[in-house]
Amino acid sequence: MKALNAIELAIFKNAFHAVAEEMGATLRRTAFSPNIKERQDYSSAVFDAQGRVIAMGDDMPVHLGSMPMSVAAALQALCLEPGDVAILNDPYDGGTHLPDITLVVPVFAAPAGRRARPDFYVANRAHHADVGGAYPGSMGLCREIYQEGVRIPPLKLVRGGQLDRGLLALILNNVRTPREREGDLTAQIGACRIGEQRLLALVKKHGRARLAHAMDALLDYSERLMRAELRRMPAGTFVAEDFLDNDGIGDAPVKLRVAITLDPRRARATVDFSGSDPQVQGSVNAVAAITYSATFYVFRCLLPEEAAPTAGLMRPVAMVIPPGSVLDARPPAAVAGGNVECSQRIVDVLLRALAEALPARIPAASSGTMNNLTIGGLDPRTGQPYAYYETCGGGMGAAPDADGLSGVHTHMSNTLNTPVEALEYAYPFRVRRYAYRRGSGGAGRHRGGDGLIRELELLAPAQVTLLSERRRFAPYGLQGGAAGARGRTTLQTNGEERELPGKCNLFVPAGAVVRLESPGGGGWGKPKP
Amino acid sequence: MNGGGGGLRVAIDTGGTFTDCVYLAAGAPRVLKLPSTPSDPGAAIERGLAELAQTAPPGEIRHGTTVGTNTLLERSGARVAFVTTAGFEDTIAIGRQARPHLYRWSNPPAAPLAPAALRFGVAERMLPSGEAAQPPAPAELRRLFRELAAAAPEAVAVSLLFSFANPAHERAVAQALEELGVPVSLSHEILPEFREFERGATVLINAYLAPRMGRYLTGLKTRLGRRYPKARLHVMQSSGGIISAVVAAREPVRTILSGPAGGVVGAWRVARQAGFARILSFDMGGTSTDVALVDGAELAEGAAGALRTTREAQVMGLPVGVPMLDIHTVGAGGGSLAGFDRAGALTVGPQSAGADPGPICYGKGERPTVTDANLLLGRLDPRGLLGGGLKLDEDRVRRYFLRAKGPLPTVEAFAAGILRLAEAHMEKALRRISVERGYDPREFTLVSFGGAGPLHACALAEGLEMPRVLVPLLPGALSALGILMSDMVKDYSRTVMEPVDAGTGKRLEAVFRALERAGAAAMRAEGWRGAPRRELDVRYAGQGFELRLDAGPGFAARFHQLHRQRYGYADERRPLEVVNARVRMIAASPPLALPRHRLRPGAGAQALLHRRRAWFDGKPRPTPVYERERLRPGDRFPGPAIVTEYSATTVVLPAWRARVDAWGNLVLERR
Repeated sequence: MKALNAIELAIFKNAFHAVAEEMGATLRRTAFSPNIKERQDYSSAVFDAQGRVIAMGDDMPVHLGSMPMSVAAALQALCLEPGDVAILNDPYDGGTHLPDITLVVPVFAAPAGRRARPDFYVANRAHHADVGGAYPGSMGLCREIYQEGVRIPPLKLVRGGQLDRGLLALILNNVRTPREREGDLTAQIGACRIGEQRLLALVKKHGRARLAHAMDALLDYSERLMRAELRRMPAGTFVAEDFLDNDGIGDAPVKLRVAITLDPRRARATVDFSGSDPQVQGSVNAVAAITYSATFYVFRCLLPEEAAPTAGLMRPVAMVIPPGSVLDARPPAAVAGGNVECSQRIVDVLLRALAEALPARIPAASSGTMNNLTIGGLDPRTGQPYAYYETCGGGMGAAPDADGLSGVHTHMSNTLNTPVEALEYAYPFRVRRYAYRRGSGGAGRHRGGDGLIRELELLAPAQVTLLSERRRFAPYGLQGGAAGARGRTTLQTNGEERELPGKCNLFVPAGAVVRLESPGGGGWGKPKP
Repeated sequence: MNGGGGGLRVAIDTGGTFTDCVYLAAGAPRVLKLPSTPSDPGAAIERGLAELAQTAPPGEIRHGTTVGTNTLLERSGARVAFVTTAGFEDTIAIGRQARPHLYRWSNPPAAPLAPAALRFGVAERMLPSGEAAQPPAPAELRRLFRELAAAAPEAVAVSLLFSFANPAHERAVAQALEELGVPVSLSHEILPEFREFERGATVLINAYLAPRMGRYLTGLKTRLGRRYPKARLHVMQSSGGIISAVVAAREPVRTILSGPAGGVVGAWRVARQAGFARILSFDMGGTSTDVALVDGAELAEGAAGALRTTREAQVMGLPVGVPMLDIHTVGAGGGSLAGFDRAGALTVGPQSAGADPGPICYGKGERPTVTDANLLLGRLDPRGLLGGGLKLDEDRVRRYFLRAKGPLPTVEAFAAGILRLAEAHMEKALRRISVERGYDPREFTLVSFGGAGPLHACALAEGLEMPRVLVPLLPGALSALGILMSDMVKDYSRTVMEPVDAGTGKRLEAVFRALERAGAAAMRAEGWRGAPRRELDVRYAGQGFELRLDAGPGFAARFHQLHRQRYGYADERRPLEVVNARVRMIAASPPLALPRHRLRPGAGAQALLHRRRAWFDGKPRPTPVYERERLRPGDRFPGPAIVTEYSATTVVLPAWRARVDAWGNLVLERR
């Protein structure tokens, strides 16, 4: 077949990206829960016949590299036929952590029966606000995955267009907010169907073979982009370590170690996480999909922003992740925090290693935690139970040419916050303060961004769960820049204030004030005298 | 009759290059185009009016202004202070915690409109119920006054938490600040709705614009008043309705998209008269393209004042909560630059050649643009744009394209690629406002205007499988025409956050009455008689998004129906809540019908200028070029064809045909 020229390459790149974006827009428009609609915690992607990612919407970085693993798991476990929709969330079989539920849909370019295998796939993933388990919100401090919620291996939720009501009932019986879950799953199915239709429209316009050819060409194109970048890098092996504060059960720090070997002559890189700690008791364990995502994210950021994040991008990058480590946990380890906390530390350790190789390009550490806060109880105004879950941004690390942004979600996270006035309408809280945490960004030629302060007064007794990091080890500065301030959480009751551990679960009386101070970003370069 | 009285009704739209004056003479719209006078936009207006006054003295002057937009773009507004509840001074800067680029580590922080030193807290607290938990103490207000006086701002924005539930504290602050002698914008007046960041940003932008906009409009009013003492000065709002200059000077945030809103209203009115009520408008200029959707099927008869508005608009990265037409802007236009990335794919935009150096063909630029590609493929007349006022250098384009075309075989292939990719970007923008919001573009007409729009409209319609393109008569002055045809509109709203039960209607009635009283009084003060239109923003309790619908009995059932239509499902058992109550006061302008002509079958031979070689589908074809001004209603001709006129060029693709309808519009349809 005729090779794609520069114009077609651009046109197809654009067209596949538009399919993924349209799926995302549909999901956002039709989803039920605020977590998907307002905080935009979802992703959509398009895959070729071999399940290689061709295009992704600009959504959640933490889903970047892990979506293909979902498709691979579905292909491995199931024979997907026309009209089927596969569902899964098992972190040990294609998922990341249980709240992230992924749907995979096969796309057949020719009428059913004619083709043995699907020609393309589309998939989307959304963070569901509750998937059962020991704690509301399914993000609490657990020791085993069995406590974290319902675990779904790759299964057919829809068979030949027919919804499997039995499977759906089984899932909904195991979650706290079944109607909302059903609405969100319906929205996910609808969004996949939109993706399917849009791909079929492209088949009609260009032909199946041409489209498949274009996908191959795009994979090669991304590979060329990455190789061009790698050729400009210095040769050598660059090693770094960073630590998670603890696993929330014991108090021992958890080590992450990476050795990045750059080989500009062959335009290749090897990322080796050997020497990282074994998996831990608490829930900060990451499955390999998360480690892969974080690495994908870091390498993607080395390219111009408009680079298409296809599977080809990672072809020149080999990875070694020791099995059974905190970066490739094995069952029955708890993993809820791997997605939100460990993923950030993987980025930190990768950047620290790359800073050795590329001192003029790599930024200092960002806040490095999503500061997950879950509060639940009875709302005295209505007598109804409520569950509140929110993450909080912090300081962005300073870059070699710019100060870090203050009070934003960084690296693997990209969610929006809930307005103060919306919060006070919806929950029995009074917000007492919402401000930048001045001076928390590390000093340097360029300053790290400041973290945030958020003070919540609880007007009724409540269960509070905190899952946060960077309370012990501060976000590092680079090239002489100072570290960002560590995060801090305090609880005021009856006029007394005490500091809370970074990961905890406690019951607090009415009138208690939770004050969260998120970490600042590290500074870059020696401060001017 | 509203807006009646004596004298000529004139609409004047200030653009970057031209100031367009449109008025009706003997039932037909006339256009007067004058060069804009950016340092003093009023000078062009004055000149235009002086010319018109020879026909008849102006009675009503309607103005589309870019002063607000430019002040924001250039960041040249006032030194503005922001006052809010103590402990929340930073909320206006924090926003929603989003970062601007997901995959970029270096993001130089943008300077906030109100830096930390100009953000002030006042110790006070209002609760969601409207109960005052802590009134601001007199000593506290005196301290605030002293600190503000020392900071010497040129304008002040005040937005306290839950001020919409009870404005008492904001009023107390306003009173305390009166002696500063600078404009003070209050959130409960500009946007009494919940979500502190969106409300605060809207009020802050208002204060930021107020001094400059106030000076401009007051100056203009005085200047015009001296010559035409009986003429009233009105200003186009982003919502698609007209307000008085006095209100616009006080609430300039309502005018940010003044001109573009005129374009959308104009596109819709013209298309509707021609029989097409559902449109996508497509306005492509040199550096940016505006697209919008108007679904006439959703609208009451003749209610231009009721065009769909959004509260989720963003301007310069800041949310603007006052009603604005849902106009989506992309940074792609005729000046977008083309090139190749490091792995060999063609790129178009986002950088633009701008006015300086401009495209290669203007004689100064050295990098290929979309305009150059159009010229090279024979779609633009090398003898020049704007009646020959701007000559285009085709040979220069060929020289530079030869160097820039990379591995592509010919300069024509390169040019065709640039057009395809630019059109792909614009198609995406059109999809975003249609497909992604649940509308099927195949049911809509593409109304194309702006200098570059009609060059690409046919290709876009083909890509989106739209049946038809309409290029209005006077595509270069459509904004001014839209402004001329708009109604007077004033919007009022309040967040109520009411659960929906048996007593909701009664409780809402009181809120609506209050809003209508305020609206009617304001309309009377301007000499208008407005009719109220009641609307509600409703959602499922606990949801984060609202749907807007007409108020009145049965609104709950309509909500479920609309939710199903828009989002694919509904849940009748789930409780609802009313978030906002809205009243839109509309005073209809005297109707303005464009003249309709008898259709006389013809082939446009009288308008045929010449045949030119133009490229379609990779092949050169001799292509007839028609002069728009000499086409007659009833003329029909097949594509490929090119229609040129003073301010625009229309391309009719080979598989399409063109006809001139009874109003002089060019209608392109698939053959």
